Amino acid sequence: MSKEIVAFCCQHSAYPAADLAGKSGLRYAENVRIIRVPCAGRIDVIHILKAFEKGVAAVLVLGCEEGACHHITGNDRAKERVKYAEMLLKEVGADGGRVKMYNLSPNAPHKFVKILDEVSKKIADEEKQK
Amino acid sequence: MELENKDVLVVGSGISGIASALELAKAGVKVYLIEKEAAVGGYAASFCCKATDSCAKCSVCAALDKLKEALIHPRITILTNSTVKRLSGELGNFHVEIIQQSRYVNMERCVACGLCAEVCPAQPKAIHASSEENMPFSYVLDEGLCLRFKGEKCDLCQSNCPTKAIEFELKPNRHELSVGAIIVATGFAVFDARLKGSLGYGRYPQVLTGLDLERVFRREGYLKLSTAGNEPKNIAFVQCVGSRDERHGYCSQVCCKYAIKLARLIQYQNPEAKVTIFYIDLQTSGKGFAQFYEECKGSIQFIRGIPVEVLQTSSGKLEVKFEDISQGKVRRDVFDLVVLSVGISPGKDVWDLARILGINLDDDGFFGVKSALCSNETNVDGIFLAGTCQGPKDIPDSIAHGVAAASKAIQALSGVDSRRRSFRWRW
Amino acid sequence: MEKEIGIFLCNCGGGIKNIDFDAVREKLVQISDVAFVAVSSALCLEEGKGTIVSTIKDKGVEKVVIAACSPEFTEHTFGEVLEKAGLNRHLLAMANVREQCAWAHQGDVTKKAIQLIKMAVNRARLLQPVQKKELPINKDVLVIGGGFSGLNIALQLSRLGLRATVLEKEAVLGARLGEAESFSSCDMGPMISEVESDDNIEVLTSAQLVRIEGNVGNFSVRIQKAGEEIPRKYGAIVVATGYRTQLMASSEPDSGGKILSQAELCRMLAAQSLEKQPRTVGFIFDFADENSRFPTLATLDNALAAKEKWDSEVYVFCKSVKVDSKGAEKLYREARARGIVFLKCETPPKVLAKNGRVEIQAQDILMGEDTVFACDVLVAEQQILPAEDADILSSLLNVGRDSKGFYQDENVHLYPVALERKGIFVVGGCRGDLDGGRVLSDISSAVMSIYELLSPGKIVVDSEKVKANPQKCVACLTCFRVCPHSAIQLMRAENEKEVAQVADAACDACGICAAICPAKAISFEGYTDEQIVAQIEALGTS
Repeated sequence: MSKEIVAFCCQHSAYPAADLAGKSGLRYAENVRIIRVPCAGRIDVIHILKAFEKGVAAVLVLGCEEGACHHITGNDRAKERVKYAEMLLKEVGADGGRVKMYNLSPNAPHKFVKILDEVSKKIADEEKQK
Repeated sequence: MELENKDVLVVGSGISGIASALELAKAGVKVYLIEKEAAVGGYAASFCCKATDSCAKCSVCAALDKLKEALIHPRITILTNSTVKRLSGELGNFHVEIIQQSRYVNMERCVACGLCAEVCPAQPKAIHASSEENMPFSYVLDEGLCLRFKGEKCDLCQSNCPTKAIEFELKPNRHELSVGAIIVATGFAVFDARLKGSLGYGRYPQVLTGLDLERVFRREGYLKLSTAGNEPKNIAFVQCVGSRDERHGYCSQVCCKYAIKLARLIQYQNPEAKVTIFYIDLQTSGKGFAQFYEECKGSIQFIRGIPVEVLQTSSGKLEVKFEDISQGKVRRDVFDLVVLSVGISPGKDVWDLARILGINLDDDGFFGVKSALCSNETNVDGIFLAGTCQGPKDIPDSIAHGVAAASKAIQALSGVDSRRRSFRWRW
Repeated sequence: MEKEIGIFLCNCGGGIKNIDFDAVREKLVQISDVAFVAVSSALCLEEGKGTIVSTIKDKGVEKVVIAACSPEFTEHTFGEVLEKAGLNRHLLAMANVREQCAWAHQGDVTKKAIQLIKMAVNRARLLQPVQKKELPINKDVLVIGGGFSGLNIALQLSRLGLRATVLEKEAVLGARLGEAESFSSCDMGPMISEVESDDNIEVLTSAQLVRIEGNVGNFSVRIQKAGEEIPRKYGAIVVATGYRTQLMASSEPDSGGKILSQAELCRMLAAQSLEKQPRTVGFIFDFADENSRFPTLATLDNALAAKEKWDSEVYVFCKSVKVDSKGAEKLYREARARGIVFLKCETPPKVLAKNGRVEIQAQDILMGEDTVFACDVLVAEQQILPAEDADILSSLLNVGRDSKGFYQDENVHLYPVALERKGIFVVGGCRGDLDGGRVLSDISSAVMSIYELLSPGKIVVDSEKVKANPQKCVACLTCFRVCPHSAIQLMRAENEKEVAQVADAACDACGICAAICPAKAISFEGYTDEQIVAQIEALGTS
């Protein structure tokens, strides 16, 4: 089994979008592991780093569209934390490009799948170049 | 003042009905929510997300949230495939007869596993989920598509159902409800663009309505058209199709916004796409819209003048004939796709419902209000209106109107005399 | 180790074909603290739920894992089932092996299913119960603003048996009474009398809010009136402070011609006799601000009144008439039928005062060239602005405003009348969207929301679901500042240091505070750092 992609999914947006993708018969990479959170703003840098420590291939944080966070500022906070995590990873010589924040709505299953396909492809391409 | 905690019937499970039902339920009222289709949510729940790099504030996701909340609320009883047959009584004491057509699937036993649909031989499938999001959480058998109901011997779905949820013998059900108040939230009908024949809808596959476009985005995630070829590069939106004309003396309120938001979405996904919007008066009001519109001005071409004719060219594209008012001349421009921004018309069943409930229709064919001071009250005490069945509204306004209807219902049920009016208002 | 975890697997009526449930079961029973792994075919049906209850009671487990369809709907149902079995509903962890596993991928997904369930088991192991608690609340409402919206709300609340205090900063109610922008708009006299004679409504004029503490159901405020501070308590607050208009007379100094606001024109229209009735009236709107429903409606109303009263020639200059309100199109057609001329211009007209009249130089799209219209009076474009003290009051209440400075962030989840803080609502012109019909709907919406909040007399909360540990808290105020719902307050117990405390009633369980606390003093039950990391621990190739 290839290394997992951890997707922290906010329960108001990405998590139902992922459900809808499954209901609609849209398929995506099997190595995705979704962790449900009440708001993208709940995610702390330590969660991201622990995932990389475990050896995952990428960490995604998925929250509501900008301007539509149920908790108004949660997705903005998450965005900042992801940037900070990216910086920390680069500082220790790891690939900062493997952590990223995305925004989507609960009725956007295609966007969910597109995001995961993009990430999977990027990882596959990078692996090939090694 | 003690609230007379009588039950309320909400007719229609679109966003307005849902908003009414939810607020009433949260306030301790028992609500019967009836819906004539097999699926709940109405139009709003079927639209697409129009976010580009930020939220476009179309509110479809907000509508879905309310829908999900209503579906699990213990005080709301939902009856699908149901319509009002008869009404008697008065405020505080209505008796309603509801006819519930059969789903042929027992909702208490269906686990929505989908095995029935897998084995159904009909094309399209006669047994399917209530809706794309499967709300309510169950499958439904469409008598009109089912081979068995057409006389063939088929029971594949029933024999494959692991929970014995399918019952071909289920007959329509009659429910007698006693309620204190009724909220009518039956929504609208989309203007039939074929009535404007010269615009080519129904003749040319590359002429779509705004609703068609919403459905394409919802289903595919991008502008995928059934006609072969690449994504359309030159797109025209025609506003006021079925609004502000001889037959419709009103603005449908939603079309300019949805056209601009869809146009922006198209361009965001395909930066090479050119979008032109043909309009009479551009409706750009509303919270949060002004900034959005400012950002679009540079990238969307707005032309004042409604096209009179759409014809197909020899190369399969569409030629649109219009008067460019600011230039003062007639032009013919060519597009790959023409989207007709169809308006909100009164629902198809309004005459029947008006007759059964004893409520009036206004000049435009929507349900009429008692006075201009309150857009929820009808001529019948205890019967209220919520949402587009009273007149065109967008999703946030439909929610507000639905909650307002709930408010009026509660006030009426508390024995409050809301006939006292201490002000007059023209509009 | 105690076998305190019970696992239920659901194959969804046998519909899930690409997971080998026996293989899953085999792996899971090896986990040392798992008491049982039960495979079922329809956990959501009555018999399935019954099996869950009896099995839990039988095996005496403390935590439950259910691997089935998405928790989006069923978490609620299964939580109730746990309660029937005598367990707290929060001791449930779900693994989504249907929508996000079996249905999302082709081919066998048994390995992924096992991992997803292990993630849930790791989380379940650490779950703690959360109890519900009833908090008594105050049923009175504070209405800030004694104008059309404020008075209307107070009256409707009173009819439902709720008491309200109307707080008005001017000396009289309906202070904008003389500022009505539309000729046939509201005559507030009767409404003011009704309010003043209503026993459920207290009116405080020349009064302002100066301090607010507490949260939904229990706001403690201080109102300043006549040099004194009056302390009061309320369950909910409504902001109805209205709007301002500012004339944008972009013209040369008025040399005798008349450039007016809508309100000034209304006064002229209402006057019993005028020295000289204007023979030509002009209106300009929709150029500087295209959010112009209200200006459109006011213009149509006043234009028709001018036609009727003075039989004037009327010219209206705008980009587009905003007719997206009920009845607006009819009014527009009536105006045109009566001979009122509408000139649609792409660029703003130039206004010049000349020879005691006002000259408007405009390029109408139909005529295509600059044309000059001379009017006796011109109602120039008015900017609709937030009330003067919107920045102060919004800061005091700690609520957001939109890009134009009106109350309420442009976030669709707040529409129509909510704010980030539970228990505080906003209605009317101060919100920005202000035509009559929509304001009336907003008012009724707010009344409904307040009624459902306050009428039970109590609020049921999840007690201490999000909690700040007083031992670890250093009162750095980060959480206090960051909470979007203003649900955190500083408390000082006797002889103790000041620490952050989460108000259960106001908390919306987002977890932003838990993430941001530098001392990791805030725990969010169900999503603690340990509970999140435990799920990550189940990953890695196995």
